[in-house]
Amino acid sequence: MTLAYVFLAFLVMLGMMLAGMPIAVAMVAIGVVGGLVTFGMPLVESMGSVIWASLNQSLLTAIPLFILLGELLLRGGIADRMFYALSIWMNRLPGGLLHTNIASSSLFAATSGSSVATAATIGTLALPTLEKRGYPMGPALGSLAAGGTLGILIPPSVNLLVFGSLANVSVGQLFLAGVIPGIALTMLFSLYLLISQWGKHYGGEEERISFADKLRASKSLVPPLVIFFIVMGSIYAGLATPTESAALGVVTAIFFVWYGGRLNLELLEAVCINSARTTGMVLLVIICALMLNVTVSLTGVAQTLTQWVVAFDLSVLALLLILIVFYILLGMFMDVMSMLVLTVPVAVPIVMAAGIDPIWFGIFIILMCEIGLITPPVGMNLYVVHGVRPSGGDFREVMWGAFPFVIILLLFTFLLIAFPDIALWLPRNMMG
Amino acid sequence: MNGLIRIFSIIFGVIFFSLSFVVSLETLIRKLFNISLGGIDELSGYAVAVAAGLAFSVTLIQRAHIRIDIVTARLSKQKQAFLNWLASVSMAVLGVFCIWLAYGVLGDTVAYGSRAPTVWATPLVYPQAPWFLALLIFCLLSVYFAVQATRLLLRRDTEALNRDFGPRGAKEELREELEDIRHRDEEVVTP
Amino acid sequence: AAPASVRVLGQPVGSGAIQNDLEQPFFENFAERTGVNTQVRYSPVDTSGVSDAEGLRVLRNNLFGIVSLRLSQISGDEPTLLGFDLVGQNPTYEVARQNVDAYLPVADARLQERFNSKLLGVWPAGPQVIFCEPEINGLDDLRGKRVRVYDNILGNFMSGLGAAPVPLSFPETQQGIARGLVDCGVTGPSSANAAGWPEVTSYVYPLPVQMAMNGYAINLNVWNQYTEEEQAQLEAAFNELVDEIWAYSEELFEDASRCNTGGEPCVNGRAYSLTSMEVTEKDLQTVNEAVEATSLPNFIELCDRTNPSCSEDWKATVGANLGL
Ligand code: NA
Ligand code: NA
Repeated sequence: MTLAYVFLAFLVMLGMMLAGMPIAVAMVAIGVVGGLVTFGMPLVESMGSVIWASLNQSLLTAIPLFILLGELLLRGGIADRMFYALSIWMNRLPGGLLHTNIASSSLFAATSGSSVATAATIGTLALPTLEKRGYPMGPALGSLAAGGTLGILIPPSVNLLVFGSLANVSVGQLFLAGVIPGIALTMLFSLYLLISQWGKHYGGEEERISFADKLRASKSLVPPLVIFFIVMGSIYAGLATPTESAALGVVTAIFFVWYGGRLNLELLEAVCINSARTTGMVLLVIICALMLNVTVSLTGVAQTLTQWVVAFDLSVLALLLILIVFYILLGMFMDVMSMLVLTVPVAVPIVMAAGIDPIWFGIFIILMCEIGLITPPVGMNLYVVHGVRPSGGDFREVMWGAFPFVIILLLFTFLLIAFPDIALWLPRNMMG
Repeated sequence: MNGLIRIFSIIFGVIFFSLSFVVSLETLIRKLFNISLGGIDELSGYAVAVAAGLAFSVTLIQRAHIRIDIVTARLSKQKQAFLNWLASVSMAVLGVFCIWLAYGVLGDTVAYGSRAPTVWATPLVYPQAPWFLALLIFCLLSVYFAVQATRLLLRRDTEALNRDFGPRGAKEELREELEDIRHRDEEVVTP
Repeated sequence: AAPASVRVLGQPVGSGAIQNDLEQPFFENFAERTGVNTQVRYSPVDTSGVSDAEGLRVLRNNLFGIVSLRLSQISGDEPTLLGFDLVGQNPTYEVARQNVDAYLPVADARLQERFNSKLLGVWPAGPQVIFCEPEINGLDDLRGKRVRVYDNILGNFMSGLGAAPVPLSFPETQQGIARGLVDCGVTGPSSANAAGWPEVTSYVYPLPVQMAMNGYAINLNVWNQYTEEEQAQLEAAFNELVDEIWAYSEELFEDASRCNTGGEPCVNGRAYSLTSMEVTEKDLQTVNEAVEATSLPNFIELCDRTNPSCSEDWKATVGANLGL
């Protein structure tokens, strides 16, 4: 397999995708054509076993379960209540409610695997109050868009699951690796707001709430925290596999929704439909990526590319810098799930050949996805936050509001490169 | 189509809610009483394989399979319509291709009387038959949509093509998300 | 004439010394080793994108011309292959070799008929013994314990002892023991050593229950392209490779057994300090009797359904060897 053919195939596939063909179709088409040209019919036939064997592999079971968990917490109103509880405590800080955006995004992220749901929910709840109290819209919108990206870094994360299944690394370890970077990034976002909003206070007319009332409202923080600790605690203590922890999370979430008096058939139906839709979307691209992967593996594309990259004799740092540029560019034009399934099977062998830990690389690539979510022109979270603004406005306001957070994400990526243990310490010290 | 979405989603939900309960139960009694039910892994693998086909269909009906619309959004309505038709037909080709592959797998399984290499030694035809059926539904739906799209193309009905076969896009996703939030607002948020 | 090139599906990279030291070098120097001028493209199964349970299917459709078959993984498609390694039938390397030689023609005929392929040789990964975290002094102590198993026959044997068999894939097992998902696991000492099982277990009970058999098979369309002379050369080369593996497997087994229990010399593995429990006469007998008591009835039930002469053939070959 010569390099020229590999690049040609990649360009054709990218072309099909940009022409609006379903991502899944573009991948399989290239896989089939490549397979037919090199190995003929037997290779194409053996893709069938991929559809069976990969679906029927216990790792993938966790994906629908975590999607279901996030949907339950969202549609069950648990996330909404959590936001109100946090906002009561946070409005005294410089920058006030802006911290609520970050903190509740982060806590919401700890229970949900999706960034869009995070940004849409928090945005809808926060923006009317922020506008009413005269907060500057740039930082307000930016913090919402950026806070939403934490959803895919702080576990559970569907994107990390997808990375794990494509790169063949332990999802439990990936989840653990996401915890400290997630917390650190939350604090960096907050620190930036604290500094940039120093001395500014907005909204004098806020109501005084008694301490007792504050405590009472804080009860709403219990369910998301309990679920986070059940899910991550059982993985950390080695009591459960990711699939089992997801199942425990779902059962606990059903209990809380029932306890909150919201468990009814209408809710369950909405949860099922949304989960089925998201699951179908995610699993189809994974299956098709794995079908493409049969051709990629057998024709030795990854080896060819790895040898090509190795021949440049780059330092690890130079390789990572190139990858950062590559992913930022890709992330501008591609949604993050497509970016993951498309690059992981090829990128992981390359970075492993350079001696980079695949667990660390999982966190690195998720940071790249987070940047992709808030960079134009294709930046899902930017659209979402823009869309939930009650009084409308210029899209550029969201874009520029999010820009400082892109810089923070980049700086944090460099920090992660300098201190890999930010990600790797926790999984290494996993119990058992 | 809404009826189909409901039926598939409910089956999907029943599968995964029951799986959650069974897996949780197994995890708890394993920890508390040192008893393993065994075979749960195998069972959950089969559950995902079957549920995935149904989920593909739900996603398909809701036009939520991932497509990139950054370039196409800037094209003329006619070009958009043509590309939407092409996307729909290509999805049908994928559906047919998948069912052809699945037929091969199931055929081999029947011919060899294959069993899972597990303690249960489950004859694989039992989980693979519903798996095949779920993929077949996905395939038939994708072909049905492709036929519809082709009709619209022949009628040169650009507007309908873009409306019914365009990518779902962020706007639509957001609109539904907002509807749900408003709906929740009424019952939940008023403390 | 000889095919210009053949694709080979190998053992997984992570499977250890046999793949690394013997199998891969053999296929990488195929022309020299066989004297047949064919280019080989060797892909270990875990880097190939196909699952190791598909071994026979990708061999039959000639995606791979030669496959290093993992018999217990592919037994779902062809249960006749289980007959190489019923629990208790191969207590020593010597007996195992006799049984393999006797059964090979039976399995070969079956693969020719159903999978259009020829079996060139069968070799053992090595005796599969029991590793436990809680102390065990014999098979009786397995009652109530959760034991990782890798196939149906072993699972039923464990059930028969009162243990709860848990099917786990090999890579998951080390973590599984660490987390208390299972108490014990069955595998070969060198695989256990390579995967760090001694870090999470304290005891090893070196009672060989199975041998973990593997084999080389070639697609008949590929095979028939060779002249008779070339076929003879190939057969000789594969026989030589398989003989080497048999000897190396035994060497590795002894070395790894020493490594795991802190013995000397320890050449191929890491040194650990597991406690090795003395194998009791009674347990040896239990495993011996398991052939007739549990694994043969189990095998008959699985196999005769798809291959009516299956158990008769087994009795005429391996059974006769064992004096059953
Ligand atoms: Na998350
Ligand atoms: Na972007």
